[in-house]
Amino acid sequence: MKAMTDFMQSQTIRNKVLVFGVAMSTIPLLLISLFYYSFVKADLETRIIEKQHLVLENLSREIEFEFSQTFQRIQVLASLNLLDKKQSALYELLQQSESVEEVVIADDKGFVEQRVSRYDLNIAGSMERWFTDDMWFQLQTRDKVYGQVDFNQYGQPVMKLAIPFYGNGTKKAIGVVVQLQKIIGKISSMRQDHSSYIYLVDDNDRVIAHQDYSKIWHKQPSGGHDEIGVTAKIEDLNWILVMEQPKTTAFAPINRILQSGIGAVALLILTVSLISVWAGLYFTRPIVSIDREMNNLKQGRKISPVKMRRTDELGKLADSFNDMSKELLEKSRLLEQEKERLNVVVNGIGAGLALVTKEYRITWMNPILKGWLKEDRLTLPCYTLIGGENTPCLNCPITCPDLDKIADEVMKFKDGPNGERIFRHRVFPLNHAIEEEGEFLVVLEDITEQKQMEETMIQTDKLSALGIMASSFAHEVNNPLATINVYAEDLIDRIQAGDEDLDEDEMEHYLRKIKENTERCKKITGNLLNFSRKNDWTQEHIHIREIIESSISLVEHQLKKQRIQLELQVPDSLPMVTGDGLKLMQVIVNLINNAVDAMESEGRLLVSASADDEGQVSIKVTDSGHGIPAEAMDKLFDPFFTTKPIGKGTGLGLSVCYGIIQQFGGTITIDSKPEEGTTVEIQLPAELQAGIEGEDQ
Amino acid sequence: MKTKWYFFFLTTVAVSAIIYAFLGFKGDGPAEIGVLMIGENRHEKFTGLEKGLKDLGYSGKEIHFTVKNADDDEKLLDKQIDDLLKSEPDLIVTLGGIESLRLKEKLDKEKIKIPVVFAGIAAPKELGLIKDYKSPGGIFTGINNYHASISGKRLEMLTSLVPKIEKVHVIYDSKIDVSNLSLKETRIAAQALGVEISPCDASSKECLETLWKTVKDEEAILILPSFRIESLTDDIVRLTEEKKIPAMGLYDFEAEKGLLASYGSSFHSQGYQAARFVSLILQGNKPGELPVELPDGIRFVINQQTKDALGVKYNDDLLKLAELIHPEVQGGRSQ
Repeated sequence: MKAMTDFMQSQTIRNKVLVFGVAMSTIPLLLISLFYYSFVKADLETRIIEKQHLVLENLSREIEFEFSQTFQRIQVLASLNLLDKKQSALYELLQQSESVEEVVIADDKGFVEQRVSRYDLNIAGSMERWFTDDMWFQLQTRDKVYGQVDFNQYGQPVMKLAIPFYGNGTKKAIGVVVQLQKIIGKISSMRQDHSSYIYLVDDNDRVIAHQDYSKIWHKQPSGGHDEIGVTAKIEDLNWILVMEQPKTTAFAPINRILQSGIGAVALLILTVSLISVWAGLYFTRPIVSIDREMNNLKQGRKISPVKMRRTDELGKLADSFNDMSKELLEKSRLLEQEKERLNVVVNGIGAGLALVTKEYRITWMNPILKGWLKEDRLTLPCYTLIGGENTPCLNCPITCPDLDKIADEVMKFKDGPNGERIFRHRVFPLNHAIEEEGEFLVVLEDITEQKQMEETMIQTDKLSALGIMASSFAHEVNNPLATINVYAEDLIDRIQAGDEDLDEDEMEHYLRKIKENTERCKKITGNLLNFSRKNDWTQEHIHIREIIESSISLVEHQLKKQRIQLELQVPDSLPMVTGDGLKLMQVIVNLINNAVDAMESEGRLLVSASADDEGQVSIKVTDSGHGIPAEAMDKLFDPFFTTKPIGKGTGLGLSVCYGIIQQFGGTITIDSKPEEGTTVEIQLPAELQAGIEGEDQ
Repeated sequence: MKTKWYFFFLTTVAVSAIIYAFLGFKGDGPAEIGVLMIGENRHEKFTGLEKGLKDLGYSGKEIHFTVKNADDDEKLLDKQIDDLLKSEPDLIVTLGGIESLRLKEKLDKEKIKIPVVFAGIAAPKELGLIKDYKSPGGIFTGINNYHASISGKRLEMLTSLVPKIEKVHVIYDSKIDVSNLSLKETRIAAQALGVEISPCDASSKECLETLWKTVKDEEAILILPSFRIESLTDDIVRLTEEKKIPAMGLYDFEAEKGLLASYGSSFHSQGYQAARFVSLILQGNKPGELPVELPDGIRFVINQQTKDALGVKYNDDLLKLAELIHPEVQGGRSQ
């Protein structure tokens, strides 16, 4: 059944329409024909049986009448006591009964006394016994006796009938020979329709009359199931009349109708098939065309529009298909373009890309990443393959789905073939990812050169600042050195002069002064060395105040030189900040240098720091300089942009500051009004600690 | 491609079914039955045959007769037999002995097997048409009209009817086998009955002339079967009327013409009875399996006028059996 259903499902619509048409036209016709065939067949059988009953009834009555009439006539003769007197009564009997061939009268011994014959001489033989022993025996007890069906000398079927009677006081018998050929002949030769036949069976089950003479005198055939037949019994004689008709001929009329019906059905099927195929083609041609073009479309072959001169649903479907395929082709073309662009981007972006599943399995990577990794072990987890770790990264969005913000902030380091290289590792969750094909996009950027550039920029900026501050440093160091020199010369002079007043306490005083000024020089040079040192980013806890103070100490001489009044508003209890203190100091020095440059001489510089409730530490550097022109505001953080005169600025200061504050995770903003001054504010994320205490001027 | 094969197959089936359906309507044509008669006087048998078939349920649509009447000309009969055989009928009905014998000769000679029904001939077994009455074998069957075997009985009937008869002239035809057989039967009966008989060969012209000269009172004439004698009926009637001689014929038409009596099966009833054989053979029986039948009935006919005209004493007992006819009153048979 399933195979049948599958077969039907796999057929084309045209075939289905054909089968449907043929089935719908023939099945009802066949069912109706079958119904009427069954009905008419049953009706015909009933009618045949009724007719057979009628025929047999008439025939059996005729036979019964023939015999009973003969008996009656004999009995009349016997009862009227006419038999002993003359032969006239016997002749009369012959005249009355055409089937009676001979009449005899036998005495009480059974010997023939008189004979009147229709064919033979009326001479009775001497001591001639006419009755069979059986008949004579029956005559003693019965009032009428039937003999057996027998044959005369001419082969004619005959039968003897007899009755006893009393004549002259003795019991005699009268017998007649009855010719059966007329009855038998009539039964046998009676024309019957449709191969019907009648046969007569005697009391010995012998067929004594049959249309087919080859069956006569044989035992009665056993009734088969292939005939329709009825029987009628002839009383007294115990004969049975049978009328039968083979079913093949009985049902011949309806079989002929069926035969012609088959022809009609075949013709109908042919006609309906033609119509069904036409209908199938008419209805399915658009669908087949659309299907063919869809296959072409699917396989990327050239398609042509489905043309149809119809406006029905199929016509509209074809139009829709044409529009849709056109649009699809256009979108495919755009998609190809997009894909090409994407390929160019993916391969030319300079970044490594990879798709990673939730199980950290890399399913795809671009050639750049493959080139970096120098190995194609896609089966390894991403943290092993990319990061060289044995466990997933702590702040990876795959591990922690809630850490979306950190997804593009994660930095990873990997040992490259050319030494240590720095990569930026960002992970983006994909909202429309195909399952098992990577739900996350990992972007790896080689930022080694960028980092080196940044370092170079910072160092250059630092050296520039040092250059600017060089004369200040010289003055700062010269002053204590001059003091040391004065104290040292004075001490030498007094020792050479042998000053008696120069005691140990006074000498100690001189040496202490020398030591103090030496310490001061050491501190100045130490700050300078510290500032100028090239170092990598170090993560440490920073006291903002210390950093501000160290920064101011570097530019203190310059401020004094240019008679700039410094105001410092930094509370002691500021929360600490995490990051690189030197880098923050470089930022503050840069900002103060910019302020000094802006004020040139006699100005006011305010350096303040504060913390707010949102965990941010704010550092402000405000000057009373000439301000920044509005048109330069947008370019302030661009590298190599400067508003200072040539030779005075490198244009890297604010750019470096921006990069360093970015690394702190903070922000830097500049507010400037021409001729009024500029305020630069840095906001840094603070470490969690105790609240702010009172401010210190 | 599949659709084309489907239509090829379907068209073949449809055309076959339509042809099959048309074949179903093809009906059988009527059965061709040839009828052979030596002369017009046996036409009554043909009438009986037609009536018999009609009573058995056959209509003109089912049976077509080709009747060949030889007008008592034996040569013409042979030619007509040839013509009939050329038309290849389904069955041939012969209306007498001469027709049957000539047809048998022709069939044996040309080895043709067409069923033949003889509608009443005397002694078919003795004539070699059949092997046995019960199982005839061969292609012949039909009705033994008993006219040979019944000859003795007819002599008894004649002498019993007119008890004063002392001598009976027996007219026979020495050229006809049946007639010779009948004479033989008559001789045996005459011996048994103690009646003197005098055979008279009708094939010679002297027979009737002699009878005209020699026949006397208390003598009678018995006619034996022969188509030649049948054609002499009128002459014999004139003889018996003139000489007032009782005469016993075979057929009712002989009594109607003026003989005292006739005892035998009528032409009509023989033809009527033969219809049964025709029906049985058309229904598929082989003629060799159909037993030859005796006549269904024997008519004992007495011409009332002749009886009265003869003025002799009759056996009243036997008159009970007789069927008295009044030809003049009834219109009679045309001469």
